[in-house]
Amino acid sequence: MLIKRSEGKAARQRLSSTYQGLSAGGMDRRSFLRQAGLGGAGLAALGSFGLTTARPAAAGPTNFSQPIQRIKNICTHCSVGCTVVAEVQNGVWVGQEPAFESPINRGTHCAKGASVRELVHGDRRLKYPMKLVDGQWQRVSWEQAIEEIGDKLLEIRQKSGPDSVYWLGSAKFSNEGAYLMRKFAAFWGSNTIDHQARICHSTTVAGVSNVMGYGAQTNSYNDTRNARTMIIMGGNPAEAHPISMQHMLAGKEQNRANVIVIDPRFTRTAAHATEYVRIRPGTDIPIIWGMLWHIFENGWEDKEFIAQRVFGMDDVRKEVAKWNPREVERVTGVPEAQLKKVAQIFATQKPATLIWCMGATQKTVGTANVRAFTILLLATGNMGRPGTGANIYRGHTNVQGATDFGLDVTTLPAYYGLDEAAWRHWCRVWDVPYEWMVQRFASKALMETPGIPTTRWFDAVLLPKDQLSQPDTVKAFIAIGHGGNTVSRMPEAIKGMDALELLVVADPHPTNLSSMSNRRDNTYLLPISTQFECDGSRTASNRSLQWGSKIVDPIFECKNDYELLYLLARKFGFAQEMFKSIEVKGTQPVAESITREFNRGAISTGYSGQSPERLKLHMQRQEDFDLVTLRGRPGSPVEGEVYGLPWPCWGTPEMKHPGTHILYNTNLHVKEGGGCFRARWGVEREGKTLLAERSYSKGSELTDGYPEFTVAVLKRLGWYDELTAQEKEIIARVGGDNPDRVSWSTDLSFGIIRVALEHGCQPSGNGKARANAWNLPDPVPVHREPIYTPRTDLIADYPAIDDRRTFRLPHLAKSVQARSYSLATSFPIVLTSGRLVEYEGGGEETRSNRWLAELQQDMFVEINPADAEARGIKPGQMVWVDGVENSAKVRVKALVTDRVAKGVAFMPFHFGGWYQGEDRRGYYPPGTDPIVLGESVNTVTTYGYDPVTAMQETKVTLCQIRGA
Amino acid sequence: MARMKFLCDSDRCIECNACVTACKNENEVPWGINRRRVVTINDGKAGERSISMACMHCTDAPCAAVCPVSCFYTTADAIVLHDKDLCIGCGYCFYACPFGAPQYPKVGNFGGRGKMDKCTYCAGGPQQDNTAAEYAQYGANRIAEGKLPLCAEMCSTRSLMAGDGDIIASIYKERVQKRGYGSGAWGWRTAYRETVDV
Amino acid sequence: MHDGNENKVAERRGFLKTLGLAGGAAAAAAAPAAAQAQAPRPRKETEVEKVAARYRETDHVKAFYRTNRY
Repeated sequence: MLIKRSEGKAARQRLSSTYQGLSAGGMDRRSFLRQAGLGGAGLAALGSFGLTTARPAAAGPTNFSQPIQRIKNICTHCSVGCTVVAEVQNGVWVGQEPAFESPINRGTHCAKGASVRELVHGDRRLKYPMKLVDGQWQRVSWEQAIEEIGDKLLEIRQKSGPDSVYWLGSAKFSNEGAYLMRKFAAFWGSNTIDHQARICHSTTVAGVSNVMGYGAQTNSYNDTRNARTMIIMGGNPAEAHPISMQHMLAGKEQNRANVIVIDPRFTRTAAHATEYVRIRPGTDIPIIWGMLWHIFENGWEDKEFIAQRVFGMDDVRKEVAKWNPREVERVTGVPEAQLKKVAQIFATQKPATLIWCMGATQKTVGTANVRAFTILLLATGNMGRPGTGANIYRGHTNVQGATDFGLDVTTLPAYYGLDEAAWRHWCRVWDVPYEWMVQRFASKALMETPGIPTTRWFDAVLLPKDQLSQPDTVKAFIAIGHGGNTVSRMPEAIKGMDALELLVVADPHPTNLSSMSNRRDNTYLLPISTQFECDGSRTASNRSLQWGSKIVDPIFECKNDYELLYLLARKFGFAQEMFKSIEVKGTQPVAESITREFNRGAISTGYSGQSPERLKLHMQRQEDFDLVTLRGRPGSPVEGEVYGLPWPCWGTPEMKHPGTHILYNTNLHVKEGGGCFRARWGVEREGKTLLAERSYSKGSELTDGYPEFTVAVLKRLGWYDELTAQEKEIIARVGGDNPDRVSWSTDLSFGIIRVALEHGCQPSGNGKARANAWNLPDPVPVHREPIYTPRTDLIADYPAIDDRRTFRLPHLAKSVQARSYSLATSFPIVLTSGRLVEYEGGGEETRSNRWLAELQQDMFVEINPADAEARGIKPGQMVWVDGVENSAKVRVKALVTDRVAKGVAFMPFHFGGWYQGEDRRGYYPPGTDPIVLGESVNTVTTYGYDPVTAMQETKVTLCQIRGA
Repeated sequence: MARMKFLCDSDRCIECNACVTACKNENEVPWGINRRRVVTINDGKAGERSISMACMHCTDAPCAAVCPVSCFYTTADAIVLHDKDLCIGCGYCFYACPFGAPQYPKVGNFGGRGKMDKCTYCAGGPQQDNTAAEYAQYGANRIAEGKLPLCAEMCSTRSLMAGDGDIIASIYKERVQKRGYGSGAWGWRTAYRETVDV
Repeated sequence: MHDGNENKVAERRGFLKTLGLAGGAAAAAAAPAAAQAQAPRPRKETEVEKVAARYRETDHVKAFYRTNRY
């Protein structure tokens, strides 16, 4: 409640008559809000913190006598991609208006989106560069900061090699920023370059792409309007992606659709479901296999789809056979009747879609989970058509784009990987000699080896050198747009921070990287602008690109991401090579020229057709796109194009490919956005074909499966001479001694793509999806109990994977899981974590926004009434939540609620600034501390990583709760 | 003549609080004053429902009936506004209001109440339209600009509607007919002495 | 109109807002801006002007209605 509790009650008594059948009562999480709950010395000091910098932040009422400029950008919070309309007067952002014309949000916002103007007001933003000198924050100039940071990094490079610097980028970057930073890391000579995708959907990207070819949302938020059945499993879009609910609820209403929420927690999304299935945390695979058990048992599967388009479903049948209803109930707690009903609805009331988020992915079995989810969709034929698909809701505004552009330790931009062919491709695009690039790295071997994932950066600082597969441990950590409270095992992350030789935070806010360590020197904060102060494109979760125009110049002494990277490149002496084909005005790289460069190289993902001009036209003509199909209206300048040219947008901008709204849709011509599963894994395995059988996209001249297009394939088909002389010449240059091996994805002439499209063929081939991903651990997903599980009786049957090495580091699993036997009795409560609507990510930015901070003033833990009563815990009181590692504990408020089951507790992950009971407000530079601070849940989250991507386990661990 | 109303479709409200921050953003409402808020009942249980609440701009507004200084007035658009120059902060309207709409900034150390503040339907107050004076006392005047309250314009799921009462009632009816359920136009009987019949 | 006065109001508003930024407690105590400001005032609206209809079904309003429909 926003008003005082007593007032709320008084009002509510008389109000009760107007509730019309909705019973009143119950505590909600706002019940412990204080009207003006701030205080303390830290805050009092703020009033005197002068704004001494060049450009004061200003905002205020619209002056109607002055001209108003209307500028469009994209909300910088979640991945839905809501258009923000800013009204600007004299360079000041004075008002925010609804963008009714946006087909994605139609003028609407959530609490975060409706408050973004405050970000550029920026009372609590970093105002100028600062450095820590003997424990005190001092203001320094940009020049001094870049010099000192650069010298130190070069010294570390000299002494320990380029892999001893950790480069951490951001899902808040524009595509241009993400691409530029990946390129920057390459020029620095390291693959240790990562971003938030590691901790949100890395498992989705790896898992789903290993089944179908691409690891992204197959349909769109808008397309859920077509669904007749939706399962939301491991996601809470009502809080995490509120605008998606506009489309989902419209679909629910118009189609009388089934909305089924499967989750350990009765979420705000579940409140709008037609069916809620409560599961034990960490049992996603048994639920999916349990559903498939009923589906196979009753013949509800789509036999034709499986026969034509799926490889290895029989291997799945064998595993599913083990998951009879009794075993499913024993492991998950879900009764047979309910799961059978859900299975039947999903398989028979089509089209059906499966929507997931971090509840599925942030698991030690994350990659396996999402593969199981995808297999359920494939088995029921719910793929490649409107209303179906894997609707994977990504997290941050541009986490999709930043992933695509390779802020990822495993790949160069556009998923080319790290092998020599990939490096040679990008070196050609960048116009630098491959040999020059090799000498930037410690070795060719390390150049082709994935770097260290962000979930484990501190292990790479703290572990003995001989346990790391690289020359030395990590000595410097450079976080550009990334919080510090988002990785699990924070007590160890803090030790890692303390041990670093250099820590640099480049961000609009100091982030709690500035406040959580005990460092006294060699720590720098660089003020970076938000994307509202910057031009560039961003890719929403549905793969649509949207161009955001700079609303105001960077406030205070902030610089944008591009300029920061330019300044560092210049300091390191490779700016000339790196910016060879990128226009730089002064020290400011021009966004459009970066877009054009990646258009030339990011061929494999289909990021080639989205020129800045086409993207800007879409932003201008938003009203011309259909709400449901996202197609441009006939007669408009964007006729037939899909809003935002969702990738793959094949070929050059001049080829005018419309973009792909729905992946793998064989009912459309490839030139109209149709497609098939990619032929990524060869043509045959164990005597069975991996190519599609009698299935092909509309209008294809090849009426069966076919491999990826290469020069050799073109020659065999007799289509080679349809290439122009100029295309052949470019291909010859690319191919060198063996031009036959040049493929559609390395052909810089785009000729192979052009010819394939002319014949109605998908350049990446027409393959089968793989229900058996033989190259991954657990090729067919199997259930494995969480590392820390209260159900020790199940460990013998469903153990964690064996200990191994991944990503240059030791990766423990089974040996840690053995601790559960001794811990489960004294830590009987399963702890899970998730989002609140008001805050985002680590939350520093949103907790600094006074309009949002007012709505959510306290970190809390949700605890079931039975667990609270057994512990004598009263609603609203302070409690300690004890974790199972490092004797860690957090002090938070108790929210006693049935939202969580008995034996389960939930904490939001957006808080920081408190550590194990200590308020660390004083450690922030004065005037930059967020309004609301609180304990980070990750202080008590624990060990556990996915074997494929090193995703952290944040959804299932153990804890104990006691009064404080 | 069009009669302005609010209609919150509680089957759509997801408690995202966009209406609350949109209001703050548009009117620069300070910390501690909430012209609009979202109330959730049965929180965390089956039957959980949320409703966005603010001044409903009642017909024969009870606040106006009890005001000792007669600071309230109803416009031809049926928007209930008040004159802060007349308000004495007595708090009677708070007790009269069935929706808990009136808000009071705390003044001084003894719990004194400042002048009442409430939702103006983004229609300003008795200062001239869209002047700095009007903005400073009452906030934005979107109605005079040919717009509607920003809370409704930005509502994430199109739960909260504002505008011509007949039009938003017809939109609501269409929804209920389409989807086959509805909890009624929440608060309408109290505020407007009518309901939306479907 | 009342330019001088209006500028003053704007300045005052800006001043109050800086106070508001200093944190909740201070903000609530100062009770700035829309809630409470004692603005120097230009001529107020007449009784007739006060209650005059202002609502118009503009394109903006129509767009709002449209996005509320299916």
